Formats: sequence, C-alpha cells, structure tokens
Amino acid sequence: MHIGIQHYLAVSMILFCLGLLGVIMRRNLLVIYMSLELMLNAANLALVAFSRFNNKLDGQVLVFFIITVAAAEVAVGLALIVALYRKRQSAHVEDLTSMKL
Amino acid sequence: MSILTYIAGWPLLAALVLIVVPRNFRVIIRAIAVLATLISAVLAVKMFCNYGSALPDADGYRFVQQIPWVESLGISYHVGVDGLNVGLILMGAIVAFAAALCSFEIQTREKEFYILLLVMTGGILGAFASLDLFFFYFLHELALVPTFIMIGVWGRGEKKNYATFQITLYLSIGALIALIGLIALYIQCGANTFDIPKIIEHAKTNPLAVNAQNFIFPLLLFGFGILVSLWPFHSWAPLGYGVAPSPTSMLHAGVLKKFGLYGLIRIALPLMPQAAQSWAHVIAWLCVGNILYVGWVAMRQKDLNLLIGNSSVAHMGFIFLGIASLNLIGITGAVLIMVAHGFLAALTFALSGYIYKQTGTLEISALGGLCRKLPFIGTALVMAAMAGCGLPGFANFVGEATVFFGAWKAFPTITVIALWGALVIGGIYMTRAIRNVLHGPLPEKWNSLSDASHLWRKLPYALLLASLFVFGVWPRLLTEKINPDAVKIVAQISPAPSADKLVAQSENSGVRN
Amino acid sequence: MKYENLPWLILFLPLISAAVITLFTLRSKTVSSLISIGAVVAGFVMTVIFVNANGMQFSGETSLQWLEIGDLKADFGLKLDALSMMMLFVVTGVGGLIHIYSYGYMHEDRSMARFFACLSLFTFSMLGIVLANNFLMMFISWELVGVSSYLLIGFWFEKPSAGDAAKKAFIVNRLGDFGFLFGILMVWGLLGSLNFSALQNSITANPAALGAMATTAGLLIFCGAMGKSAQFPLHVWLPDAMEGPTPVSALIHAATMVAAGVYMLCRSLFLFNADSLHVISYIGGFTALIAALMAVQQNDIKRIIAYSTLSQLGYMVMTVGLNGPTPAMFHLTTHAFFKALLFLAAGSVIIGMHHEQDIWQMGNLRKKMPITFLTFTIGTLALCGVPPFSGFYSKDAILAQAWEQKSYLLFGVAVFIAALTTFYTFRLFFVVFFGKEKSDHAKHAHESSLVMTLPLVILAVFSFAGGFIGITNNYGSQFVHEHETFSAWQQFAEPFHNPFPMVCGLVAFAIGFFAALSLYKNATSDPLPKKLGGLATLMKNKFYFDEIYEATFIRAHDFLAAVADWIDRWILEGAIIGAIRGGTDLSGRALRLAQTGNLQTYAFLFVLGVALLLYFVLGK
Repeated sequence: MHIGIQHYLAVSMILFCLGLLGVIMRRNLLVIYMSLELMLNAANLALVAFSRFNNKLDGQVLVFFIITVAAAEVAVGLALIVALYRKRQSAHVEDLTSMKL
Repeated sequence: MSILTYIAGWPLLAALVLIVVPRNFRVIIRAIAVLATLISAVLAVKMFCNYGSALPDADGYRFVQQIPWVESLGISYHVGVDGLNVGLILMGAIVAFAAALCSFEIQTREKEFYILLLVMTGGILGAFASLDLFFFYFLHELALVPTFIMIGVWGRGEKKNYATFQITLYLSIGALIALIGLIALYIQCGANTFDIPKIIEHAKTNPLAVNAQNFIFPLLLFGFGILVSLWPFHSWAPLGYGVAPSPTSMLHAGVLKKFGLYGLIRIALPLMPQAAQSWAHVIAWLCVGNILYVGWVAMRQKDLNLLIGNSSVAHMGFIFLGIASLNLIGITGAVLIMVAHGFLAALTFALSGYIYKQTGTLEISALGGLCRKLPFIGTALVMAAMAGCGLPGFANFVGEATVFFGAWKAFPTITVIALWGALVIGGIYMTRAIRNVLHGPLPEKWNSLSDASHLWRKLPYALLLASLFVFGVWPRLLTEKINPDAVKIVAQISPAPSADKLVAQSENSGVRN
Repeated sequence: MKYENLPWLILFLPLISAAVITLFTLRSKTVSSLISIGAVVAGFVMTVIFVNANGMQFSGETSLQWLEIGDLKADFGLKLDALSMMMLFVVTGVGGLIHIYSYGYMHEDRSMARFFACLSLFTFSMLGIVLANNFLMMFISWELVGVSSYLLIGFWFEKPSAGDAAKKAFIVNRLGDFGFLFGILMVWGLLGSLNFSALQNSITANPAALGAMATTAGLLIFCGAMGKSAQFPLHVWLPDAMEGPTPVSALIHAATMVAAGVYMLCRSLFLFNADSLHVISYIGGFTALIAALMAVQQNDIKRIIAYSTLSQLGYMVMTVGLNGPTPAMFHLTTHAFFKALLFLAAGSVIIGMHHEQDIWQMGNLRKKMPITFLTFTIGTLALCGVPPFSGFYSKDAILAQAWEQKSYLLFGVAVFIAALTTFYTFRLFFVVFFGKEKSDHAKHAHESSLVMTLPLVILAVFSFAGGFIGITNNYGSQFVHEHETFSAWQQFAEPFHNPFPMVCGLVAFAIGFFAALSLYKNATSDPLPKKLGGLATLMKNKFYFDEIYEATFIRAHDFLAAVADWIDRWILEGAIIGAIRGGTDLSGRALRLAQTGNLQTYAFLFVLGVALLLYFVLGK
C-alpha cells in the first residue's frame, strides 16, 4: 500500500480532533493544556507532510517556529496554571468563572 | 514656520510642559496656562492685523505652511488662512485666553484641567487653521475628547452623568457620520489627496457626480449638523453647557461648535454645489426649528445656564439660514455670526459661571436684584443679553442683519419667521432673564456677594465685550476679509453645470465605482 | 456746505460722553453729569453754528462706508436737510434743557452717573435716527433708542414695577421693530437700495416700482412707527414707561423718542401710497381718541400727561396719514416744547410733594410753587390750543389739514379730542393747583431749585411763542415745492385763512374748559365715576388692553413655549433618546446571557464558529 499525503492528513486530523475534544470536554486545566499541545502537533504533522509532498521547505521552517513558540508558551502557560492553583487551590475550569457578567 | 503653527502650537507645548510640573505648584500651573493662551491670542491679533499685507499663495491662502507627512495617501501638515477662518482663529484664541482666565473657578485637580484646556485650545485652533482634511478632522477630535472628560469630572449639578453621556454619544456619533462623509468624499473625488485646496481645485475640472453628491452631502450636513446642534439634534447642547464648568462651555459653545459650520462652508458647499442647492430647503426649514422652536423652549427654562444654552442653539439657526441662502450676503453673514456668537457665547457662559461661583445656584427664581451687588457683572450680563437679542453696536446684529438680507432673496417666508424669532422671542426671553436675575429687590441671602473687583477678574469679560463692540461698530474689519473668499464659494455654487453634462459625469463616476 | 464735519461731532459727542462716563467717571456724580450736559449743549451750539453757516434750506449728505457685501450697501451716512436740522434743534435744545433739569432732579440719587450715561447714550441714538440717511442706519439707531429707553425706564430696577415696565416697553417696541425690519427687507428686495434719496429717486422715476406690495410694505414700515410712537394697538407700553425718572419721561416719552415714529413717517413719506396713508390716518385718529378717553380717568399726575402724549401722537400720525407732513412736524415741534414743559413741571411738583404722584393728594399748590404753577399754566394753555400759544397754531394746522382733505369723520374726531384734551388737562390743573390741600405733603410743598426752574422758564417761552417763529417755514421748505416764506405777522394770522376749523377748535376748548371748571374747581374727589358709571371704569382700566394682551399674545407665546418645552423634554429627550438608550440597554442584557464565564463554552462556541465558517467558505 502506497502511503500518500491523505494518510498523513488523516492522522493529523484525528490528532487534532482528539485535542479539540480534550480542550472542550476535560475539566482539568493541565489536561486541557496537554490537549492544546496535541492540536499544535497535529498542525505540525500536517505542515511537515505538505512540505514533504510539495518538495518545499517552507512548511518545515514553520514547524520549527511553532515548536519554539510552543516551548515558550508551555513555560508561560504552566507558570500561569501553577500560580492560579496556588491562588485558588484548584485547577478545574468550572471554578474559574469570575469573568461571568 | 507659519505664525499659525505658533498660534496652535504654544498651547499644545504648554500642555506638555504642564505634565512635568508638580501638582502643588498651582500658581505656576495657572501662569503657564494663561501665558500660553495669551501668547496665542497676541499672535492671533497680530496675524489678523497683518492679514491684509501678507501675500496670498496661488489658492488664495495666507501664512501658509506645508510639510508632507504620508505621501502615499497625500496627507500633509498644511495650514493657512483665508477670509473664512481668519476671524474664527482670532476669536478662538481670544476666547481661549478668556477661558484660561476664568478657570480660577476650578479648585480641584487643577493640573489636569489646565492640561485638557490647553489641549482643547491647541486642537481647535489647529483644526481651524488646517487645510488638510486629515489634520482638520484629527485636530477637531483632539479638542473634542477633552470636552467630555472636563464635563464628566468637573461638571456640576445632579444631571452631570446623564449630560456627559448624552453629549459624548451625540458628538461622537456626529463626528463619526462626518468622518464617513469625509472618507467617502476622499474616495469619490479621486484626487488622491487630503489637501483641501487641491481637492477643490480638482473638483473644478472633475466635479463630483450628482448622485455621489446627494449621498455625501447629507452625511456631512447631519454629521456636522449634530456637532452644531442643528434641530432636532440639539438636546445635548443646553444640557451639556448647563452642567459643564464655564471655561469648557466657553470654549465649546464659543469655538469648537463652529467647526461643523466651518466644515460645511469650507468643504461641503464648494465640492457639492448641486447637492447643496437641493438640500438648501431642508436646511432652511430645519433652521426654523432652531430659531423658533428652541426659542420657545428657552422661554420656559428655569435655569440660567439652560436658558443661555438654548439661546445659543437658537443662534445656530441664523448661521444655518445664512448658509442655506447660498448667496454672497448670506454666507458672509453666516461667517460674521460665527465669529460674533463665539465671543457672545463665551461671554454669557463666563458671566453665568461667575454668578454660580458666587451664589452656588443658577435657578432663576432663586436669584434676583443682583445688579445692586454685582454692578460690573450685572452690566456685562445686560450687555450680553442685549447682544444676544440682536442689539446694534454688537457684532451679532451685523451678522444677523446680513443673514436676513441674504436669506430674504432665497427664503422670504423663513426670513420673516427668523425675524420674529430674533426680535420678539429673543427679546422676550432675554428681558425676562434680566428682569428675574438682575432687576427687582435683592433677596437678603445675597447680601454677601462680591463683584469682580480687580483687573484680572474683569479682564476676560471686558476683553470679550470689547471684541463684540469692535466688530459690531466696524464690521468691515471682517467683511472685507470674508468677501473675496465668499465670492469664490458662491461662484462655485451658482453657475451650475448644464444638465446633460451632469448626466455624463454621473455615468463616468458609475464606472469608477 | 460749510463745516461739513460739524454734524459728525454733534452726533458722536454724546456717545463719547456715554463711553467716558461708563469707563472712567462712574464714581463722580458731578463730573459725569457735567460731561453729559456739556455734550448736549455743545451739540446745540454746533447746530446753531452749522445752520447759521449753511442756512436752513439746503440738502446734503455725507457718509462713511460701513458695510458692503455684494448688493447690500449700508453706509454710515448723515442726511442734512431742513427736516433733520429742525429735529437737531429739538433734540439738542429740548434735550439740553432736560439734561440741565436732571442735574437738579436726580441730585439725591446714588446712581446719578449711570443715569447720565444712559441719557447720553439715548441722545446719541436719537440723533442717529434724526440724521440717518438710510434705512439700516435708522433701524440701528431705532434699536438703540429702544434699549436706552429700556435702561432708563428700568433705572430704578429694584422696584419690581420699574423692571416690569422696562421689559414691557422693550418687548412691545420689538413687535413694532419686527414689522419695521420686515418692511425694510421688502423695500430693499423690491428697490435694491436702502438710501432714502436713492429710494425716493426710484419711486419718483417709477411710482409703481413697489408694485402690488406697495400697501403692505408701507404698512410694515409704519409698524415701526406704531411701536416707537405708541400707536394703537402697540400703545400699551407708554403709560407704564412712567416708572422711569421724570426727566426721562419728558425727554424720551414726550419730546423726542416717541416722536421718532412720526419723524420716520415724514422722512420716508414717498414710500406710502394712498391706501396705506388712509390706514395710517385712521389708526392715528383712533389712538388719539382712546388715549384721550383713558386720560380722563387717571389719577397719577405723570400718567395723565402720558396719555395726553399718546393722544397728541395720534394727532400727528393722523396728520401724516392725511398727507400733511408739515402740520405733523409742526405739531411735533411745539408738542416737544409744551409737553416737555408739562412733564418737567410735573417733576417739580413731584419733588415738591416728596415723590407723591396721586393728584388727589395735592391741591392749592399755586401758592407754594409759583414758578412751577406759572410755567405749568403756560404748558396747559399751549396743549389745549389757546391762542396765541404755540399749540393753538399747530393744532389748528392739523384741523385745517383734516378739513381740507375732506376727511370729515377724522375732523369731527379731532375736534372732539380737542375738547377732551382741554377737559382732562384742566381737571389735572384744577385738582393740583387749586382747591384745598388734600394731604400733609401738599401743605409742606416747596418750590424747586433754580437749576430746575430755569429750564421750565425757557421751555415756557418757546411754548408760548413757538407758533410764529418760523417753524412752519422750515418744514414747508422740505415738503412743499413752491412754498412761501411767511413773516412772523403772517404766521400769527395764519389760522384766519381757514376760519371754520379755527372756530371749531376754540369752541371745543370752551366746552372742555367749562366742563372741567364746573366739575373740578373745588372737588376733593372725582365726581365723574358716579355720573358715567361703567364707562368711567372702562376708561380707568384703559379699556382692558393690558388684560387682552395678557390673555392673547403672552398666553399664546407661553403656551407655544410650553408645548415646545414639552416636546423637547418628553419626545426628543424622553422618547427618542430614551428609546435609543433603552434599546441599547436591553440588547446588552440579552447578550449578557451568552457570557457564561466558562472557558470551555467559549472554546466550544469558537470551534462551532470556525466549523461554520469553513463550511460556508469551503463547503459550497
């Protein structure tokens, strides 16, 4: 069986949907955060696949950027979650509704 | 550098300086503000006196300065004066100086107040001097926003918040509609520049299509109209002026409000002559609302400031009537009233501010007999009231009479209604106010009032009165400057291109769209 | 024309005086009053010099450019001819005497400087009306006399009645000015000029130039005179104006300002066609009649004279309407003498009576105040038209004019008014100066000082001799093309040319005099109300004109104001702004429900939005 771009994209899509479901359904901020990372990586996978099949390096360059930004984001995001946990003694989204009007 | 840059620049520079002055140095803060506006006023007087000897450039503007800014869009810093705005700049600078002098009544957060006052002054003087649409609009907004803050923070009375909301919403919406109109104008005229003389020059050879004119003109008319409290969009004005601190009322009612009218004359009339002609009837009938209806409303007011505010709205009607008449006499008269009413509105609000400062109320029924305790202020108020109902000798009479003569040719019926409003209704509410506030026995509680005693206190009122006198007795100072430029505008309106040419143009513009 | 600049000086001296007093000398009574008196007296002297150098019968104009916009040209110009020269004499001469008198009359008042500043402003404005060579200039001065009259009526502004009277005078005058300016606009629109000479030329060249609007334009211009000269239906302000100091009543509300309307009619007589003159004559006659009737039942010494002024003004307007400018101006001039005299003498009485104005508190003052009595008598005789006092000649000229114009109804009315005039004047005369003292004040009355009595004496001389010192000659030269100049003796005998009106006038005098003599010689209270019943009440209450205006004009404006205010408050501010505000508020509340505050709801909605977008963008 020849493995074409569709297969890569299908995997990427499955990963993305899993991540999305995680973001919407899970209650724990940490898990939501991991699901977000999953979505980012799904996008990375798609970019690499396109890059490979189109014989262009643009996509791979973009992936490096995303990885770098994601690393930075993880650092900031985790710090925020930890700070939040310290303040509220909770990392569940139901408890964080102070923005409600 | 053009003198105009200095006139508008000194107050703005002073505002920057005030930021770094510590708030405890009250005397220094006041001195800087007064000095900056004084320099502006002196320069404006100098500019006015030298107007005749300065050489006009190719478009007929004097004291011109132009610095390119965003060349791809055609935006440049371009200032200059001609007959239409020379009087307004002089009036604005003098009123700003008087307002700075009258600001002694502000006791809290003085530093912020003076900064806002100076920004407002610089903004509005700059807006009048601008010959570039972008700066024209931007500097007006720069002056407008401080108004809202000043009314909201330093305003008086129970209805302060309501009035602040109303004036903010009305004026923002008005400015927004005008902005849409100006952008549409920029796109439609196709000159690809914000430079007003260039746009007008371009429009001479490629006039705007009639349907484009009929779309843009109402935007400008009602956008600017809301800014000038054209009936029925007037209710913000008396209310806002009623609660505003008097320096703000002076600057806004006197100077800033004229921006909309100036915009109509400067931009809307020459660029959209056909639309102006077809809308002239609408404007003329709306003036009746201003003159007659608001005059009646003024008769009913129980608060002195609301009365003055309504009378100021009524005066706007005469200016609109002059514009609507679309002839030389009417437009000259409109510009005359713009200048005269600036001095007058500033004077009346300054005087009512003094009375409020002394008595703590402007409720007409609570006052009475004040002429005995306040002879100077009382006399000045009588003069202001008389100027307000069109007494000869004051500049307002010249303007109103000129407008009547101009409008008589275009709208005789409306002129008669306006006459009734000016002579009878104006007379009724002004004499009633004098009778109830200044005449009659003095209630005992006002025995401790004190008159404006020394020169600095009297100066703003005397200065404004003197200005009204000078232009009232010697109107040629203004009319000779206004006339050549009003002639140009009328020339652009009256010889309307023939009908088939217009059809061809509208088809052309259809393609461009 | 010699001394061309002199009229400018005459005009502007009082203005300079007013400015100097207001700006510098408000603290000093004496200096202020001397400046003001000096300005008028100098004006009089300069008028004499100017007329001596140029003679009376010349015509000239001198002007400065004031305003020029397109085809609107208004010069600040002076028209110098017999008409304006004679009025210059009246204004500066009579005015000067009244200024001097005021120095004595107002001496006790703490605001005397303000008084003289206003008086000077008035003199300037009045001279402006007299000298104006175009309608706009005249309108400007017209408004300025209105405002100086306003300031002077309300001089004692702490008295509520004075404030109200000032306000009323101003507003009623404004009603007249409305018509005046309307008329000026109409004339300008039709003829394209404001200058009197230019207008006269275009009317002479083409009598139909005003076309169908001729009558309307004439009557609108007349509205101005109606306001200033207090003609029916705008007569209501003049009696109330007596709240001002007495010299003001004499100067403004008897001798000069109220005569401005008549002067203006004569100045612009060429504009009026037969129809409008007809209306004017009837309005004048009617005003004269009702004012004389009202005067019969007044008790305030100044108000009686004020109604008499109204009545005499009606005479003048009627005469202008009968196409007789010369008799009208003649009567205007003699009236200025004797009515100023009567007012000043009344002022002297009021001062002597310690500011008591009710005639039924006076009595037997002839002994206590001999000079005032004597001069008042001369004024009375002149007003009633007793030969050879000046009033006899001018009144006879009016009667003769009505007779010659074959306007028999107006002639009858005029004779009847002459009888009424005699009746109410002698009523006043007997009650004040004869009979018994009716109060303590009357017992302790005293004669006024020389500064007040001297002007009385001078005015008395002119009231006596005004009929034959050449006044008609000068006016005649203005209005009649081939007029003859009469010698003093010819003037003296002039009434005998047309004896019937003269006899009627004398009979009317006799009837009025004997009626007053029999009723009031020794009366202590008014016997008339019992005899006349309801009519007397009607006269006393001025035919309820004030109440009628209160119920119509003022109510209507207040009602309209209330309606406008209601619309402003409830519809514009309440309904429209309220609806916008409410609508915004409501939509905000509705949208708030979507804000759950839950992160995942937002995320879900976001994804849903993206999915929908993708569907619409890509799915089709």
